[in-house]
Amino acid sequence: MDSARADILAARHRLDTRGWIPRHAEAFRHLPPPAAEVWLGDTPAAIGCEAHPLAGAGWTLHPIGHSPQGRVDARWLDAGDDLQRAELFAGLPTLSGAGDAGEGDAAPFAWAHRTLCRQGLRMRIGGAPGAEREASSTVWLQLRHQPRSAAEAPLLVIELLAGVHCVLVETHDRQSLDCRQPIVQNLQAHVRLGERATLQHLRIATPGPADRIAHHLHARLGRGARYEQALIAAGSGYHLQRNVIELHAERAVSSSAGLLLAAGSVLEHQVRISHGAARTVSAIEDLALASGAARMVVNAHTRIAPSASEADVRQRLTGIPTGGQPKLVLRPHLEIHHDQVQATHGATWGALPEDAMFYARQRGLDERSARGLIVEGMAGALMQRCFSDGRLLEAVGIDRLLRAAVDRHLAVGQDAGHG
Amino acid sequence: MTHPEALLQVRDLRVDVAERHVLKSVSLAVPAGALLVLMGANGSGKSTLGLTLAGHPRYRVAGGSARFAGQDLLALSPEARARAGLFVSFQAPPEIPGVKNNLFIRTALNAVREARGETPLDAFDFLGDARAAATRLGLPEAMLGRPVNDGFSGGERKRNELLQLALLRPRLAVLDEVDSGMDVDGVRAVVQLVRALRAQGTAFIVVSHYLQLIESLAPDAVLWLDQGCIAETGGMALATEIARTGFVRAAEALEA
Repeated sequence: MDSARADILAARHRLDTRGWIPRHAEAFRHLPPPAAEVWLGDTPAAIGCEAHPLAGAGWTLHPIGHSPQGRVDARWLDAGDDLQRAELFAGLPTLSGAGDAGEGDAAPFAWAHRTLCRQGLRMRIGGAPGAEREASSTVWLQLRHQPRSAAEAPLLVIELLAGVHCVLVETHDRQSLDCRQPIVQNLQAHVRLGERATLQHLRIATPGPADRIAHHLHARLGRGARYEQALIAAGSGYHLQRNVIELHAERAVSSSAGLLLAAGSVLEHQVRISHGAARTVSAIEDLALASGAARMVVNAHTRIAPSASEADVRQRLTGIPTGGQPKLVLRPHLEIHHDQVQATHGATWGALPEDAMFYARQRGLDERSARGLIVEGMAGALMQRCFSDGRLLEAVGIDRLLRAAVDRHLAVGQDAGHG
Repeated sequence: MTHPEALLQVRDLRVDVAERHVLKSVSLAVPAGALLVLMGANGSGKSTLGLTLAGHPRYRVAGGSARFAGQDLLALSPEARARAGLFVSFQAPPEIPGVKNNLFIRTALNAVREARGETPLDAFDFLGDARAAATRLGLPEAMLGRPVNDGFSGGERKRNELLQLALLRPRLAVLDEVDSGMDVDGVRAVVQLVRALRAQGTAFIVVSHYLQLIESLAPDAVLWLDQGCIAETGGMALATEIARTGFVRAAEALEA
């Protein structure tokens, strides 16, 4: 038997023997994910869906404007080939090794992924270390993913070399595809930042209404590295965005922001940050808007280990129902094992600011325009706070993106309300 | 106080706020282009009158009527009132985080222009007008690019209200203590703007305790609001008397 096949069978065996995520699993208590069969492509709806136009391009790389791209080594690898599979999964946590422990309740997603994964992309950004590389230059990239099959498990591995500064826009968008067939997507992404490397990462995931997707991102930061991620996500049949960020080297900094929009759909954002070294800093901030019969969960968990002296931690979760009777759960959670740290967290759940709404209407804006403008403003401020450098937001035209996302959310919410 | 030709005609207006009778009976008329000054002690109902006319949902109309430009004002939504030409400045204008001031004002202005049957202003034309108006009002141009009232001082917030007033050019403006928190130059800017808009036909209800400002505005009438009722109507002499003796002494004189 070839080694790729053996690896797949081992993952499948692990899933069969250990079982899927139990309903009482703490991390998924409020929004249990669909059963294992769904993520393995074994459900009837997913069979025979390989035909065009669903067979998208998978991962594709694009420039952003006329900005310099720097040196990027990108390799598209076939997980069915022994050698390429070995290269694709090289250095990633093994299914039975220590790296698996960190996955906790979500480990079955990793096993299902290993079973179904057919291809992946590995990127090494900054090229070979040495005199060839200009450490001070910024690498600008857009990474687009389009589904290749009705049930898939894409893999992405990004390695940012020491001192490199990268701006990355990652989009998962089905709007441009003609095919409206629901997809199942279990994506795993691994991000490794070398010493003093900086990654500004804007992720946009707007699946189709009946899609079931789960994106798992694992980031590990080197000494003095900075990882800033802003997510714009819309709900679907099931949508999970899960980040696990390790700050296990001194002075590593992480900032995570989420604009979450669910109109009669399902969306969960989980951010787990682990502080394992001194003078590490993290911030998690989410703005969650839900309407109709949406079910949304925001789960922020930050752990400060005994070794993380002078850690600085902030969590701020805001949930706003924008119509109907959505279920919106905000869960800020801190776990502190050191006395000398700074930590704040909070969750607010409520309507849009009434005084600002009235002010806008008194100046002539109708209720819907006022609501859209205020929500857009809140989202824009969230993005500004996430990124230490506003060039990314300017380059991607964040105002336009936010306006479109908020308009779509409010329009769907209004339709659902009238229905 | 019936004026068939009045732009705003308020009759026996009674307003409750959180089960408290704040306005007990207010009647007044504002002809087009006129300027009324409204004076009154703290808690007498001045801001309540303005916010009720604007349609604030927390202010419940218990009785009476208000007609504006021939329409039943109280039946209109807040935005319909604004589009009909009513502008109410806020004593404490709120912040709108993340919404750029120029975008906010342009969106509002174009909503009002559309209601008037005018073409919308594009960003370029709007910015030209906004910059010129901001300069006249002493508002730094940078404030146009910042989020609405976010980090603005008290005086800057009031100037920002005046900027919107200047650009929206309403038929009736209710200015609620627009001079408070303003420096001398700011007060002068208020006077100049009010004069300029009056010359174009805008009517005003100005709430103020500042005699020098009131004199500069040359009001058509001064109204004294006391405990939710119009206690007295007069001219500059009434304003001067109130400024000299205070509201308590003036009330005693009225009872005598």
